[in-house]
Amino acid sequence: MTSSAAMAKRAAPVFACIGLLAMWQVASLVLKNDSFPTAIEAIRAVPSILGDKESLINIFASLRRMATGFGAAMLVSIPLGLLMGRSAAVAAFFNPLLMVIYPVPKAALMPIIMLWLGVGDLTKTLVIFLGVSLPVIYHSFQGAKAVQEKMLWSGAAMGLSPLQRLVRIVLPAALPEILTGCRTGLVLALITMITSEMIARQSGAGNILFNALDMGQYDTVFAMIIIVGAMGICLDAIFERVRARLVRWSEPQFDIPLSFS
Amino acid sequence: MKARQNGRGSNDAPHVCEGDGLSGRFLAKLVLLNVRASETRYGMTVVAARSSEWMRPVTSQEPASAIIEIDRVSQVFQTSARKDHLALSDISLTIEEGAFVSILGPSGCGKSTLLYIVGGFVSPTSGMAKIKGHAITGPGPDRGPVFQEFALFPWKTVLGNVMYGPRQQGVRAAEAEAQSRALIEMVGLKGYENFYPKELSGGMKQRVALARTLAYHPEVLLMDEPFGALDAHTRTRLQNDLLTIWERDRKTVLFVTHSVDEAVFLSDKVIMMSKSPGRIRQVIDIDLPRPRRRNELLLDPRYQKYVVDIERMFDDSDEAGPAL
Repeated sequence: MTSSAAMAKRAAPVFACIGLLAMWQVASLVLKNDSFPTAIEAIRAVPSILGDKESLINIFASLRRMATGFGAAMLVSIPLGLLMGRSAAVAAFFNPLLMVIYPVPKAALMPIIMLWLGVGDLTKTLVIFLGVSLPVIYHSFQGAKAVQEKMLWSGAAMGLSPLQRLVRIVLPAALPEILTGCRTGLVLALITMITSEMIARQSGAGNILFNALDMGQYDTVFAMIIIVGAMGICLDAIFERVRARLVRWSEPQFDIPLSFS
Repeated sequence: MKARQNGRGSNDAPHVCEGDGLSGRFLAKLVLLNVRASETRYGMTVVAARSSEWMRPVTSQEPASAIIEIDRVSQVFQTSARKDHLALSDISLTIEEGAFVSILGPSGCGKSTLLYIVGGFVSPTSGMAKIKGHAITGPGPDRGPVFQEFALFPWKTVLGNVMYGPRQQGVRAAEAEAQSRALIEMVGLKGYENFYPKELSGGMKQRVALARTLAYHPEVLLMDEPFGALDAHTRTRLQNDLLTIWERDRKTVLFVTHSVDEAVFLSDKVIMMSKSPGRIRQVIDIDLPRPRRRNELLLDPRYQKYVVDIERMFDDSDEAGPAL
């Protein structure tokens, strides 16, 4: 009985996807709008995009920027968040700054950044970096703050210096929370990646999407949406695998039940 | 004051107590560990099997020297209403090397705070604490804490937790592992080396925490209500095992508890504290023979008298409390 329940659990997302596509198909057939192709038409356009060398170069350029921005954001945000979590002074300094930046859509900063840095990779990577940083900082901060004082005392008694305690106790103890932030950051990286390419069109997955929109190739537009969605699901699944491996020691309350939470 | 001397003279064979689930085999291993530790730390070639003997400085004038001195320590905390709360008021105390001393008192009497001050985790508002004549300014490996909350590193296995201290002290991995495995066996967790803390019960976690602290050879064990979160049965077993381990090693132990039975059963000396402000109410020497066996001790009228007397003293202060 449990195995059939497990199979149902595994099959559920597949049924959800099929259901969504079926609804799309029906809606588009009912509405009969030129700018709303059917699901089958959109899916049919996917192989032609993925088979086209130019498109693939664009998509890989996007992914490269995303990886760079995401990686740089983790390198900066995790140490900053941990420091804020363990030092009231550092938190008091950075908190107001972050509170100001948090609600600003990072893509809204793009025109200004473009003026400074041009429309190239640097601008887009910086926007991705900004988009990812805040949730990672916030979760690292929360994770570091929640570290049991007695655990740090135990480390101090063994002779760990404050820096060693930060790296060897606070970092691993906060890791489940940090990775939750990183997972949110990964989705935000994908979103800012596309929006940055919408504003500064030069290359990338967003470039394909919005060029097709301009030219009225709606099947390509929707095919790109499917591709971006699939990329999101794949990246999230890979990240979740890595995360589960890294924190298999932790109590289950740190587990995230659903994707894109 | 010298109650612990009673047990000591008659207890020089390296394998005395076989009871309480601790076999002589790994007790012998522990003795071996002590020898090795002493060789590496002090460069001696001929050492006694028991640490209490080699730990005692030969050059020292006093035979039973004070290891911890607490000198007029007071601790003020600021409560949420910006009122100062006097947690500890003018505490002075001397603890002799090798003694098992309990700090007993109701919750909120500052007994844990006193322990944290000795640990160097909390700085006293006034006064000072010393270890071996040196002022305590922060935590150090000479004072090993064991907390009620266990405070294990959850990302490390049992073995990883126990090895952490020795590795930090620069002990080579193979040696640290061998010592840690012996300690894990000694605390009764053989076979659990590769378990993560989340997979263990409370009692097992506390055994790991004790092994982890013993692994870096602190001179003083600071135990902060270590068995307070455990059920009665587990608590009894851990008390027995702690005594068995301690009777091999005779480290100085400072043990915070609110249980009168526990304090009398384990200690050479019980420091009774009273509440608001935290003060030392009375210091009682527990003159009971060692090694102590629970089943014998519970029937011993002297043990019973200590427990009843101490409980009566606390009752008196409770009744006096509201009248003041």
